[in-house]
Amino acid sequence: MDMEAQRFLWEGAIPLQIHLHESEVTTLPSPPPALILAPRIGYLPLLASHLKPYFSSALPPGVDTIWFEYKGLPLKWFIPTGVLFDLLCAEPERPWNLTVHFRGYPGNILIPCEGEDSIKWSFINSLKEAAYIINGNCKNVMNMSQPDQVELWRSVLNGNLEAYQRVSSKLKLGAVGEMNSSSPRSGSNMGEIDVSGQVKPGRVPVRLYVWNVNEDFDELEDAPPIDSWDKLSYINRPVEIQGGGSYFTLHDAVKSLLPDYFVDKSLINAEALTVGGDDEQRVSSEDASDDTRVEEEVETSCDDHIKACYEYEEPEIKLVRIQGIEPKLEIPFSWVANNLMHPEHFLHICVYLKVPQVNNSMS
Amino acid sequence: MSTTESPTAAKKVVIHLRATGDAPILKQAKFKIPGTDKFAKVIEFLRRQLHRDTLFVYVNSAFSPNPDELVIDLYNNFGFDGKLVVNYACSMAWG
Repeated sequence: MDMEAQRFLWEGAIPLQIHLHESEVTTLPSPPPALILAPRIGYLPLLASHLKPYFSSALPPGVDTIWFEYKGLPLKWFIPTGVLFDLLCAEPERPWNLTVHFRGYPGNILIPCEGEDSIKWSFINSLKEAAYIINGNCKNVMNMSQPDQVELWRSVLNGNLEAYQRVSSKLKLGAVGEMNSSSPRSGSNMGEIDVSGQVKPGRVPVRLYVWNVNEDFDELEDAPPIDSWDKLSYINRPVEIQGGGSYFTLHDAVKSLLPDYFVDKSLINAEALTVGGDDEQRVSSEDASDDTRVEEEVETSCDDHIKACYEYEEPEIKLVRIQGIEPKLEIPFSWVANNLMHPEHFLHICVYLKVPQVNNSMS
Repeated sequence: MSTTESPTAAKKVVIHLRATGDAPILKQAKFKIPGTDKFAKVIEFLRRQLHRDTLFVYVNSAFSPNPDELVIDLYNNFGFDGKLVVNYACSMAWG
């Protein structure tokens, strides 16, 4: 497998400007913010070894428990730093301004973190979960020798891709979709079915973060901040890559992960063909102000099921961001899975969805 | 179309609790929980029942999911025979 994309990913880092929360500043002048380059595949509390000595002289007496917030939102420490950035900074902010706390851990929002051990535990368990999805069990991870497990974790801590691959290859988690070329053929016609584009069936572990945007905005910089985790859906569902002659794209994958939003089109089209086709013409040929009349006609002329299908409007995918990249949705999903996965073998996908507001909800 | 009314969201999941190691066995080893609940709810339930702060909770004797994962996702990915098997231990069982 071509390692170029993975190398970029492992070297990826986000410049952080970290401010100590004002309530924890006991010195005058207050300490200047700390500037740090945080690895994308890393986890925020791992920065403690740099940040603690930097801010310690300004802190009030007490016990240190490090946590971070962005615009008032406490950051979940088990989500990789790069994913937090992709998800919470609609328009990437550089440096990323975060606030660090050493006191007042928000135990109602964040699960306890006892330093590196907690993060390693979370990482290994994610790896086991991913292995379970891929192979139907996680024996290979559970039977890993202690030195191998330590080496694997250290490789992630140090961003050492070679060491990581040496150990992780023993886990037999393989790559999905044996493609002759592991990079998408840019420039070639993606619509053309190529024999080498065939993928072998496989399951890709995905952690999907969905933000349902209600407000309309054209530019990402105008997106409102995400001020509560309740505004996000966290979906853990594998993507089944089907074999066959055609590309299974990132778009297909995102739709398969969100069956509540993206109803199988073939079903709708078959059932609502006569009504839908008829009305589309009418809508396009008439003034928008006649919309209500059209709706009334539909209501009286078809049964509830077809009405529901007719009214159904697909949400708009505002953004799909993986590892800081906004890939074209036509890209083969197997390439995405093999090249953009995190070291725990999960593919973390951030999606912004604009869900249309339907006035006449299904009755 | 409201997502909260979708069939997947309405589904309840049967959880089978299994004690591991020296953890006490619960009288009620089976319970139903809405699929939309987070795994954290299961952990909380166990903590309350066992009066313990430190608890190790696993799925299929294999791994600890993170507490934010939805019960329905865990059931769909790792459940079988119509249930999700959750093991609990008072000390670390499977690393």
